[in-house]
Amino acid sequence: MVSATADATLRHLRNSLATIEKSTGFPDDAGVLAIGLRPLDAALGGGLARAALHELAPAAPAQIGAASGFALALAALATAGGRTALFVQTDFSAMEAGALYGPGLDCLGLPMKRLIVLRVPRPVDVLWACEEALKSRGVAAVVAELPQTGAAADLTATRRLTLAARTGGNLGLLLRQHPSPVATAASTRWEISASPSVPDRYGGLGRTTFDLSLNRNRRGRCGRFIVCWDHHARVFLPAALSLGMAAASCNGSADPQLLARAVTGWR
Amino acid sequence: MKGALRLSAVNDAAAQLGLVPGLALADARARYPRIAVADADPAVDARTLAAIADWCDRYTPLVGLDPPDGLLLDITGCAHLFGGEEAMCRDVVERLARHGFHARAAVADTVGCAWAVARYGDPVIPGKAASPESITAMEHGFRAPAIGRYRNDGERIFIVSSNDTREVLIPLPLAALRIDADTIAALAQVGLKRIADVIDRPRAPLAARFGEAFVRRIDQAIGREDEPIAPRLPVPPYVTERRFAEPIAREEDVLGTIEHLARELAGLLERRGDGARIIEVALFRTDGKVHRIAAGAGAPLRDPARMRALFVERLAAIGDEYDPGFGYDVVRLAAFATERADPTQTGLAASDHAAELAHLIDRLGARFGLRRVTRLIPRDTHIPEFAVTAVAAASSAYATSALETRGAKSHRPLPRLRLSNPEQIPSAHTEQDSLAPTRPVRLFEQPERIEAIAEVPDGPPVQFTWRRVRHAVAHAEGPERIAMEWWRDEHGRRLTRDYFRVESREGLRVWLYREGFFNDRAPPHWFLHGVFA
Repeated sequence: MVSATADATLRHLRNSLATIEKSTGFPDDAGVLAIGLRPLDAALGGGLARAALHELAPAAPAQIGAASGFALALAALATAGGRTALFVQTDFSAMEAGALYGPGLDCLGLPMKRLIVLRVPRPVDVLWACEEALKSRGVAAVVAELPQTGAAADLTATRRLTLAARTGGNLGLLLRQHPSPVATAASTRWEISASPSVPDRYGGLGRTTFDLSLNRNRRGRCGRFIVCWDHHARVFLPAALSLGMAAASCNGSADPQLLARAVTGWR
Repeated sequence: MKGALRLSAVNDAAAQLGLVPGLALADARARYPRIAVADADPAVDARTLAAIADWCDRYTPLVGLDPPDGLLLDITGCAHLFGGEEAMCRDVVERLARHGFHARAAVADTVGCAWAVARYGDPVIPGKAASPESITAMEHGFRAPAIGRYRNDGERIFIVSSNDTREVLIPLPLAALRIDADTIAALAQVGLKRIADVIDRPRAPLAARFGEAFVRRIDQAIGREDEPIAPRLPVPPYVTERRFAEPIAREEDVLGTIEHLARELAGLLERRGDGARIIEVALFRTDGKVHRIAAGAGAPLRDPARMRALFVERLAAIGDEYDPGFGYDVVRLAAFATERADPTQTGLAASDHAAELAHLIDRLGARFGLRRVTRLIPRDTHIPEFAVTAVAAASSAYATSALETRGAKSHRPLPRLRLSNPEQIPSAHTEQDSLAPTRPVRLFEQPERIEAIAEVPDGPPVQFTWRRVRHAVAHAEGPERIAMEWWRDEHGRRLTRDYFRVESREGLRVWLYREGFFNDRAPPHWFLHGVFA
């Protein structure tokens, strides 16, 4: 009897929580951004949640190119309908880690005319601009780059950004320059590094390859994924089996069953 | 007596003692040893005058400076708003007096007449009204006799009616014609001392002897020649304002007022089919300070809520500088730059992304400065760091949206390929054979010096050290030789760079270059210019 009332109370509380959460804006499943790879999409529950915040960080400081490349590739997917993305960065991080390079963006598959670049003086300004942009319906994706670990983006700040993303239904990508240990309200948290590519048949450089560690996932499993980015077709491809893949399966960070399914799926 | 300190201005008390500007300080001290002296600072005086001019903006948008100590206000069509010319003058003089300025105001048909009467039209003893405006009048030490032709209130306000311009001017000294001291001296030598002495003389001999400028001043004073006032600030085409009996100080009140005014402004703009690109709010503080806050819009703007939103950001960005003090008694909203804004057909279901984007750019620009919100535009050069330039998104956003509307209006159907998938158009950079991008995603403003070892002198490196980490090269592509355009290379300093795309064993991809050619004397330097995804 006691348990029955407790159940009822619990259900009531859950319902009211759900209404509070829903009433702030878009429902959780406003849409997902399908990555196009079955194991990755399965882990994410269909794809990267659009109206949500995601945190990206390079595994090592030198990997900032890979991390920003992955963020921009996601932005390219999100803006595929011809909409615009916003990239926010502080003056310091532009100096320290390089500024976005237009021709390189064109090469990567996110045409520079689809991107608006905002430079701000302080890290808190990044958060403010990111929140404003996420709330607006004018952009489809916001990439906010914070210098260093981005200490300004704590639990409260990421919570605000998440709510803003839900209000506007926009994809928010928070790019830190170092992985941060602090708690976050973001839906997913990724650590990204480049993975050795498979050379083309002439021995030249192969496709851009990312080694993605999904370290936190509100909707499903974590795991490690090796993916290629085809910048011509603007799609993610499964990595051809390479050393990286072997490392992923040996490492054990990825769920072995998922990996096995993935491998069969890719074949 | 060159190099001597002289009096440049005197106050009432000093004038009553008989001290006049131009007197040597030593003489003045000899007569009155205990006078207080302060250094003249013309720059500060000019700033003060400019601040008063700013404040006078509350009476008319057409305010001209008349340095060193005068202001010219064109009050055509404005006086009735303040209860007539006399009431307006009294308002000016009284308000200035409250701030500690002694001012004399004259209203006349011509600039010359008003100028003369404000300075020389004093029926009482010299020094009674020592004001910044009348100091020039004191230099010459003599006064016009009492003139009964104008209404005169408290010796500070002079209203010259239309028919009396000539009669009022006649008894005044020639200095009232705004002519230089040399001309006055030359005229005095031939016995011409008052305007009455010259006003009816034939113009040609006067001009021949004393110059064109002198004759023009006479004509300007009596209205035979037109004299425009050069406004200090641009006069906005659209203005709305609100005055408060009780000053407002709270930020919400100010913003609420701005929104009210924006609604009125939107009505004015709509009637003429215009939209504002630059809006400015002027906040007149009760103590005379005027805050002017401008905000720009990327596309012609008419929506009051958006105008308010821009000023919310501007006020936040200004922060401490914005200090309401005892409050504002006049708030004015003006649209300076306007552009044609035709109403556009919007979809019923889909929200208007382009308009939302323009608004977002405006708000970000209002907060951080419009030049910080940029779009990247490719440029036609091979030099990597100059191949792209950042332009303010507010300017280009409008350009692209205008282009789109023009495209929509034309009846010629666009090629189907473009309609279906605009991003499939290949550009020079994306048209590439390689599986890997040919240009890095991030470029360092200053290429970073690295240590690199190459197997053969002009081959790719086999290992390199960047930021104290050593990387072994697994794959490399290159060289891609990029040199300065020959027509810019005047001095033969050929900045030739051989670029390599390099992938390390860990998968890190960077863009390296070797500067210059290999020779025996000095080993070439290696630089890291960008990082690939």
